[in-house]
Amino acid sequence: MRVVALLLCVGALGCLAMAMARHQQTVFGRAFSIVASRRLRGAGWSGLLIALWLSVADQGWALGLVAYSGITSVAAGIVYGALVVCERRLARR
Amino acid sequence: MKPAANAKPPRRGVRQRMSDLHTWAGLLVGWILYAMFLTGTVSYFKDEISQWMRPELAYQRVMPDPATAAQRVAATLGAVAADSPQWLITLPTTRSNVASAFWRVPHPQPGKLPYGLATFDPSTGEKLAVRDTLGGEFFLRFHYQFYYLPAVWGRWLAGACAMFMVVAIVSGVITHKKIFVDFFTFRWGKGQRSWLDAHNALSVFGLPFHLMITYTGLVTLMTLYMPWGAHAALTTPARQHAFDLQLSSFMPPGARADVPAALAPVDAMVRVGEARWGRGNVASVLVTNPGDAQARVVVTRGAVARVSTSPQYLLFDGVSGRLLDVRERVGAAAQTRGVLYALHMGRFGDLTLRWLYFVVSLAGTAMVGTGLVMWTVKRRQKLPDPERPHFGFRVVERLNIASIAGLSIAMTGFLWGNRLLPAAVAGRARIEVDVFFAVWVGVLLYALVRPARRAWIELLGLAAALLALLPVLNALTTGRPFWRSVAAGDWVYAGFDLMMWALAALHAALALRAARHRPRERIADGRRARALRVEDA
Repeated sequence: MRVVALLLCVGALGCLAMAMARHQQTVFGRAFSIVASRRLRGAGWSGLLIALWLSVADQGWALGLVAYSGITSVAAGIVYGALVVCERRLARR
Repeated sequence: MKPAANAKPPRRGVRQRMSDLHTWAGLLVGWILYAMFLTGTVSYFKDEISQWMRPELAYQRVMPDPATAAQRVAATLGAVAADSPQWLITLPTTRSNVASAFWRVPHPQPGKLPYGLATFDPSTGEKLAVRDTLGGEFFLRFHYQFYYLPAVWGRWLAGACAMFMVVAIVSGVITHKKIFVDFFTFRWGKGQRSWLDAHNALSVFGLPFHLMITYTGLVTLMTLYMPWGAHAALTTPARQHAFDLQLSSFMPPGARADVPAALAPVDAMVRVGEARWGRGNVASVLVTNPGDAQARVVVTRGAVARVSTSPQYLLFDGVSGRLLDVRERVGAAAQTRGVLYALHMGRFGDLTLRWLYFVVSLAGTAMVGTGLVMWTVKRRQKLPDPERPHFGFRVVERLNIASIAGLSIAMTGFLWGNRLLPAAVAGRARIEVDVFFAVWVGVLLYALVRPARRAWIELLGLAAALLALLPVLNALTTGRPFWRSVAAGDWVYAGFDLMMWALAALHAALALRAARHRPRERIADGRRARALRVEDA
């Protein structure tokens, strides 16, 4: 269940990153429409909430919240790393 | 403090003030905080480190029965500490393959300690005859009370540093004006900008953890730091006793009957606890007045899957073995403390949760490290002559090298010492620690005499080499090389070796980056030169 929550958080934080113009430029070379950005942001926050629910439903509030805190931190690190790698690749081209 | 600040209008925003506060609060104790963070981080694997540092004890495939182990250790203590008023036996767990005990010495000889401490083999109950070592316990103790200092001083120092950390975190959040806009931003190869981005990412991603760990760290020692409330309220010994039992199941011995009576079997008592809390979830057995008719036995619940360290225990009559009392609740305030305490220690966690703690805590270590380095990066460009920085700059630079690269070397040196020191040498556990500090001081001296950039490269390289070769040393000095551990499914040893290689790779990568780094002064000089030429024209 923690793996599912982690993947969900990576996806959600990825959506949140892609809702930002700077990273849209970095990854796709163009900015998205405002509507698309807003949808991505909505999807991102929903994903984070669903992951929280999963984590708490699985292990209860005490352990669930602790695990969720760690999982979101690691997921943010993964998305961040992926963006850095992506940017480096594009810069080299 | 900064020349640039004078040029600006005299009234400075709250953000600028907070930025100064963040810079100086972080710098002043940054080196100690870095060491506290890193030793604390590895302490999440304290039991595994201890297993690695006692290679004579075979890999623990199944947990030894805690009840039997308790009975055997109690039998041994009955022989070596029969007249002691109090024994505390800590039982083996799925992660720890030893039992340990603490006992009071009733009439200590002058100059001798008033208590005894020993580690026991759970399968025999005999005192461990393996190499004498503090194991992972050393890093944990260093984390909150350092070493060589009296314990209370060390704890006060740790508390003062933790307060600085709270200030640095809060002021850092206020200073960071684009916390959401720059959430995922990293600008590669931009010198100071890149350092700041990395520092921000490490801080923000782990922010809930960093705040929690700093605050709860203070809570763990709150009765030391703020004893006055308790002093004022607890005017009678009875009240003090009631207060103590809210915090810990460690109770002082009661009045003796001075009538000898054999201690009832403690294994049966441990089994009662296991039936209540689950197998393997009894943490310790406390025996008061063993061998007396007034003997009492306290069986305390372990930490598994329980985010609280509040005491839960069973009290037994030590002679008849009858259950006298069950305590499974404390007051709301004590429970709050118990939860915060448990959050700090993370002992309730299973393996994945422990890894999460470790990784995020490592990010916290890197947060402090990048903050320290940034202080020099930011100021180097503004130096009048980058080749000959002023005294303060040089002090910070050298201390950064000694604390960041140096601590990795010292900690690895400690592990090398564990393998290389002869097993029979007297005071071996203490000498291992002396090795740690000697190596650290050596690194500091080295960092003082070498040019800073060379020192970074060489010392990070040395750390990488020591880490990478540690599994080799282990293979040569013990019968437990990597391949055999993998074949035997011993993931404590195999995982330890893999971790050393991963850390070696990290240090090697840092050394390489430092070596490839083109100092920015030259670029800045070029720019300055060009600007001058333009002015001349």
